[in-house]
Amino acid sequence: MSLSVIAVISRFLEEYRSSTSNKLKVIDAYLLYILLTGAFQFLYCLLVGTFPFNSFLSGFISSVGSFILAVCLRIQINPQNKGDFLSVSPERAFADFLFAHTVLHLVVVNFIG
Amino acid sequence: MALLRLVSLLVFVLALEAQALTPSHYLVASDVDRLQAVLSQPFTDLKSAYFSVVGLSKLGVSVADSNDACSFIKANVDSSSIEALFYAAEASQAISSCEIHVSNETRDSLHAAVSEDSTVSQIHQAVSALSSLGLPLASQEVVINLALLGASALKAYLSITCTFDLAARLDDLGGVYLQFEEGLEATALFVSAAYALSDHVDMEPPLKEDQVIQLVNSIFSKKSWDSLSEAFSVASAAAALSNNRFHKPVVVSAVGPSGTQEGGDLHVTDVLCQPLSSANVLVESATSVASKAAILSQTPFTLRDGIFELNFMASKPASGYYQFSVAVTGDSRLVANHVELKVKVSTKVAINNMDLSVVDKDQSIGTKTTRVEYPNKGKASFIADSHQNFAMTFQLVDETTGVELTPHQTFVRLHNQKTGQEVVFVAEPDSKNLYKFELDTAERKTEFDSISGTYALYLMVGDATLENPVLWNVADVVLKFPDEEAPSTVQSKNLYVPKPEIQHLFREPEKRPPTVLSNTFTALVLSPFLLLLILWFKLGANISNFSFSPSSVLFHVGHAAMLGLMYVYWTHLNMFQTLKYLAIIGSLTFLAGNRMLAQKAVKRYSLHHL
Repeated sequence: MSLSVIAVISRFLEEYRSSTSNKLKVIDAYLLYILLTGAFQFLYCLLVGTFPFNSFLSGFISSVGSFILAVCLRIQINPQNKGDFLSVSPERAFADFLFAHTVLHLVVVNFIG
Repeated sequence: MALLRLVSLLVFVLALEAQALTPSHYLVASDVDRLQAVLSQPFTDLKSAYFSVVGLSKLGVSVADSNDACSFIKANVDSSSIEALFYAAEASQAISSCEIHVSNETRDSLHAAVSEDSTVSQIHQAVSALSSLGLPLASQEVVINLALLGASALKAYLSITCTFDLAARLDDLGGVYLQFEEGLEATALFVSAAYALSDHVDMEPPLKEDQVIQLVNSIFSKKSWDSLSEAFSVASAAAALSNNRFHKPVVVSAVGPSGTQEGGDLHVTDVLCQPLSSANVLVESATSVASKAAILSQTPFTLRDGIFELNFMASKPASGYYQFSVAVTGDSRLVANHVELKVKVSTKVAINNMDLSVVDKDQSIGTKTTRVEYPNKGKASFIADSHQNFAMTFQLVDETTGVELTPHQTFVRLHNQKTGQEVVFVAEPDSKNLYKFELDTAERKTEFDSISGTYALYLMVGDATLENPVLWNVADVVLKFPDEEAPSTVQSKNLYVPKPEIQHLFREPEKRPPTVLSNTFTALVLSPFLLLLILWFKLGANISNFSFSPSSVLFHVGHAAMLGLMYVYWTHLNMFQTLKYLAIIGSLTFLAGNRMLAQKAVKRYSLHHL
């Protein structure tokens, strides 16, 4: 059983390494970074407690929001999805990404206390 | 046996409660004297001389030195002024054997003043002067009406109907006072003028009895007068109310605050504080407030030395409160002659049969019963420990009648001389009005704080109708409590020392995790950024394609500024300021970014379509 799981995972990683373009890999690295940041914040909250609860919430939501926006960007940039996003050029996607981030950061900084 | 005292009754008139209106403000003898003193001030000018002389004559008193007054008037009269002539004429008439000689020109000027062109006050003064000087008047009737009505404060004109109108202008204040809004002087002058007019034309003034009393209240509510003219107007009003043909208000008041004469004495006077000698004063009914039983009915008062006396005590009333309904008759002019009075009959109390005993709890037979007579103190002290009760019985009787009393306050006070502690109990009467007090030593030990020792026993008796409240040290009682603690002196509770200071407790800040832990986790959370940089480097992400066009430079600068603004927002600003700055920076960044991305798009498009 475990053997097949490992086989699947290694196959997946091989596919990933070969078929994804560099641009997407850059974004994936960013996604991983965001994920880890959010995970570590959650870990702290579990271990030490929610003392400044508003700070924890704003940090965690910032991670989650950034992750989502980056995923959206990745989807929109991917040339394989071009058919779904005819009106949205990659530049436009990036500009949207930046604008959404501005709004997100405004809210997060407001809430962080 | 208990001592018997002589009972002398105190009849105390408590309040004049009237169902019909009775005067609540009136002049007493001292006020009349004060009024006289004000009017007897030395004259400064002719007008003040007029007020003083005529005012005093209205009070029935003549001025101090009449010759001086007469010469003063003669010296100060100014023949050209109608007003001066009026004052001089009236004043000289009030002084006996004082005559003012007027020349023919003066007389003619007076006659000339009585014409349609003059004001009412001028006509009034001229006519009064003429009549006082004994000179003939042109047309008597109409002019005399004017003269009598005209007081300068009132713009009165012509006939009786105007008195009706004027009366309608009076303001009723709370049903107690009736006065003109112009004030006391106007009201007082109106009263004297109205009664003078009524007497002259022999018609009743258009004032109801209640209104007359309200006017009395208004005029005599002020007991010290600011000016001579005010004093004069009050004196005229008082004289008018005492001596007119229609209304004579009656003032019924108690004689002194407390008299130990036998009987209820009343002053029955007119408004000038003169007793009404011709009146018959009658008690229509006297009922006890508590039992509603009638004690007296249709009993007359007897007049002696200006005071009306009633021998109330002859009917031997029990102590308490009585409602008297008094009627004053004898003159058809009397107003407010039915009065309700509340009378208190007080008495002296005697304590009979004071028996003290110490009773064992097992048997209810008294072991020792000692009789103590008031005001002596029991010779031996009584000892009671936890197996015994201390008991006290006594009777409270009225000294004269021997009727048993139940006063409002009957207390038994035990006072520990050493510690200063005192405990007070209430003694209750049983159905036969015998007072009993029992002290159960074991039961009551908490009130005494279980402090054994010698207690002085006092009996306190008091009531509103008692003349002799009692505080009697009956005996000493030695109480022995079980579980005696070391007697500590009881600090008398001093309520007025500073209390301990309350320190304000500021809100404790919440417990924080140790700094080491926080720092560790901060580093941990920031560490993925390093990982990101490493990964990007490994992937070969670079900025080699960076075109230094102005729009891209501006875009990057603007973007960096926006991030910086976020930090500043966190530390210093509020949302509104941030939004303001963000709008500025954001629009710049947007424009630059738009340009930059467009250029990039063009480049990409041209690349792909080569």
